[in-house]
Amino acid sequence: MSAQLWAVVAVGAIVLAAACLEAVRSRVARRRSIGASAAPASEPYILYFTGESCTVCRTHQEPALAKLGSVRIDKVDAIEDRTLADQFHVYTLPTTVVMSAEGYALHVNYGYAPATKLERQLADARIAPVSVPATA
Amino acid sequence: MAVTQTVDHSALKVNQAGIVVTVLVAFAGSAFYRPLAILIPLLAIVLLAGTFAPQLALFKQLYFKVLKPRGIVKPRPVADRPEPHNFAQGLGGVFLAMSSVLLYLGTPAYGAVVPVLGLAIALLVAVLAFVNLAFGYCLGCQIYFQLGKRGLIQA
Repeated sequence: MSAQLWAVVAVGAIVLAAACLEAVRSRVARRRSIGASAAPASEPYILYFTGESCTVCRTHQEPALAKLGSVRIDKVDAIEDRTLADQFHVYTLPTTVVMSAEGYALHVNYGYAPATKLERQLADARIAPVSVPATA
Repeated sequence: MAVTQTVDHSALKVNQAGIVVTVLVAFAGSAFYRPLAILIPLLAIVLLAGTFAPQLALFKQLYFKVLKPRGIVKPRPVADRPEPHNFAQGLGGVFLAMSSVLLYLGTPAYGAVVPVLGLAIALLVAVLAFVNLAFGYCLGCQIYFQLGKRGLIQA
């Protein structure tokens, strides 16, 4: 029985360490990506990084994006367009980037982002005119 | 390249549920009845065989031959590629094979550490299968994406 208990402790420690690493990595990548630029537009829009191997993109992210209505969504294949993916430090799929009308990245979501979260971020992008974005 | 294939995600879910249940039975059961640990190498064989020959994927066959025809589990076809899922399954099989080696071939000279490592690896596979089953996050698919991004595989 003690072997099982030690195994549970070991796995718990691994899962905890992985969660902490993921949180740090996500925070660092987000900080680096905020302010990165892409093409300006008349309205805030979303860069949606996906790939053929991404199941969550199809089962969760795309239905969430469909709920946003008429918002412009630029779909990017992270494998084929590696330059743009690297510019936004895409390390996981899906990744969604809320861009200001001026073409600056305001919010970066690594992993699945629900429609409510994206709507909130888009509302922020509409309210706050951005010339030089914050980096935090 | 456009996605033209369809993957029945119910088959994947049944597969993941099968992995979780089998590992948990082996993990908890072996504490009271040691021979139950044999389920771990058997599962490794099933996963690895199913990766290379889908007709040998036990849990998927259970779904296609029993659960789906009887309406116990409803099909959920999604436009998707099977390769990342097969890769993830194969990765699970490799880790369970490593776990089996540690469980059965670990020498007594290393004391109790080796079987604990073997059990921990098996439990980790079950945890990841559960995360995929419950939250749709597939670590194996992410590894497949990263390897494809680096050009190491044709993703």
